[in-house]
Amino acid sequence: MSDRKKILAIDDEEDLRIILKEELTDEGYEVFTLGDPAKAMDKIEETNPDLILLDIKMPGMSGMDLLNLIRGKYYDLPVILLTAYSSFKKDIAAAACDQYVVKSGDFTELKKRVRKTLSVTA
Amino acid sequence: MKTDNRSALSKDAWHTLESVREADIVIGIPSYNNAATIGHVIKAVKLGLAKYYPDKRAFLINSDGGSTDGTAEAVLAVLNDDTYGINLVDKPEQPLTGFSTPYHGIPGKGSAFKAIFEAARYLKARACAVFDSDLRSITPEWVQLLIAPVLEKGYGYVCPFYRRYKYDGTITNSIAYPLTRALYGRRVRQPIGGDFGFSAELVDLYLRKDVWDTDVARFGIDIWMTTTAMVERFKICQSFMGAKIHDAKDPGADLAPMFVQVVGTLFSLMKGYESRWRETLGSRPTAIFGFETEVSPLPLQVNIARMIEKFRDGFDENQLYYQQILSSDCMSKLAEVREMCTPSIDFPRLLWVRIIYNYAAVFQKEGDKKRLLESLIPIYFGYVASFVKETETYDDFRAEETIEDLCEIYEDTKSYLLQKWDEKGC
Repeated sequence: MSDRKKILAIDDEEDLRIILKEELTDEGYEVFTLGDPAKAMDKIEETNPDLILLDIKMPGMSGMDLLNLIRGKYYDLPVILLTAYSSFKKDIAAAACDQYVVKSGDFTELKKRVRKTLSVTA
Repeated sequence: MKTDNRSALSKDAWHTLESVREADIVIGIPSYNNAATIGHVIKAVKLGLAKYYPDKRAFLINSDGGSTDGTAEAVLAVLNDDTYGINLVDKPEQPLTGFSTPYHGIPGKGSAFKAIFEAARYLKARACAVFDSDLRSITPEWVQLLIAPVLEKGYGYVCPFYRRYKYDGTITNSIAYPLTRALYGRRVRQPIGGDFGFSAELVDLYLRKDVWDTDVARFGIDIWMTTTAMVERFKICQSFMGAKIHDAKDPGADLAPMFVQVVGTLFSLMKGYESRWRETLGSRPTAIFGFETEVSPLPLQVNIARMIEKFRDGFDENQLYYQQILSSDCMSKLAEVREMCTPSIDFPRLLWVRIIYNYAAVFQKEGDKKRLLESLIPIYFGYVASFVKETETYDDFRAEETIEDLCEIYEDTKSYLLQKWDEKGC
C-alpha cells in the first residue's frame, strides 16, 4: 500500500485538473481529480483522501455548499479552497476551510499551502 | 444546603435555589452597574427562551458585583414583566424565573461566573449560557445560537462568532486569538467574546479546578474557559451572532487591568498545558453554525496619537527593564520602532510575535508577574497603533486578512517560542 498522501482536486475546469494532477504528483502526492461536484461525496468515500482541493465557483453546486456538505460528514478532513478572488471570505462558512489559495499560473503558493496543511498536528 | 466558605453564592441564594430544585437551562449574566443596558439583555434572553425552549425549565441568575445604580431592580423589572404578545411570542409553558444576587469572592467577572456555575450544577442544568450585560445587539436568537449546539448537537462549548468593527477587540485580535490558535491548534475567533454556551459536564470540570483565587476570578475567566474546553478535548463550535454592539472602548483607553488579567491567564495556562501545545503544529478550523446576515458593526473612534505617546513614554520608562526581558534582536528592533514612531508608526508583525513569545517564556520564572505584564502594555499600544494606521483605509474584511496574516506568523514562528521556553528552563 502506498504511503503517499492522497489529494482529491475538485474543479470543473479540465485544464486546471490536469495541471493540478501533474504539479502535485511531481511533489510526491497521489492525486485524484473530479469535475462534477455532485459526485464529490462518493469520490471521497472511494478515495479516502488526506486533503481536498476545492474550487469555489462551479456549475451546479458551489464550492462553499460542497464545503458545508463535507464538513457535515468529514469534519477532520482538511480542505483548501481554490478561488479567483479572496472576497469569498466574507461568507462566514469560509471559516470552515483550512486554507485558501488564490488561483494563478504559479503553483508555488498552492504547494506551500498543501505542505503546511498536511503537516498540521492540531 | 450547599453553603460553604468557598461558595460564590450567598445563603439567601442557596435558599432560593433549593426551592427551584431543578432547571434544564441556566442563563447567567454577570454585572456591575449595568442598569442602563441589562434590562435589554434579559428581555432578549426571556423572549429567546419563550420562543425556542417554551417547554424547558429555565432559570436566570444575575450575578452582581455590588452595583449601586439599580441593576438588580432593572433585572427584576424584566423578570416580573408578563408581556410577551407585543413580540409575537406566546407565554411559555415554563416561564423564566430567576434572581439577582451578589456573588462572594474576589471582585471580578470570574467570581460572578463561579456563582453561575455553582447554581447550574446544583440545578442539574443540561445547558448553560452566559451573556455580557452591556450588549446592545443581542436578539432572542442568541439564546438558541448558544444553547442549541449543546442541547441538540452534543457540543460541550459554544463560542460566539461576531462581526466586530476592525478596532473593537484589540486584545483578542493581537494576542488572545492568534496565540491560542498557535498554541493549541484550534481557530476560535472570539475566545474572550464574553457570551458562551456550555454543557453540564464542562460546568462540572470548571468547578473542580482550583483557580478561583487567581486572575481567572477576574477578566481571565473567558480565556480560561475557552482554553480549558479546547485542551480538555470538549467538542467546540462557534455560532454566528451577527454584530457585536456593546460598550466598546477605545483600545488606547484604560484597558490595563483587562490586559494584565487576560494575558497573565494565557501565559499561566501555557505552563499547565505545555505538553499539549508543544506537540501542536499549525491549526484547524472550528465548526460554525448560524444564519449569516449582512451586518455593519458601529465604528469606534481610536486615538492613534495617544497610543503612540503611551508607547513612546512607556518605552523610555521601561527601556532598562526591557533589556532584561527581550532578546537582543528584539530589543534593538523595538528601539528602532521607538526612534521612528513620530508622527507615524510601523511595528512589524514578526517583532510583535517574538516579543510575546519572549514575555511568555520570561513570565514562567518571573517573581513580579504584574510588573512584567504591565511593562508589555506600552508595547501593545505601539503594535495596535501600527495596526490601526496600516488598516485605516481597509474595510473590516481586509483588516481581518491582516489579522489572519498575524496568526500565520504566530504559527510559523512557534519554534522561536520553544527556543525561548527551553532557554529559560521553563
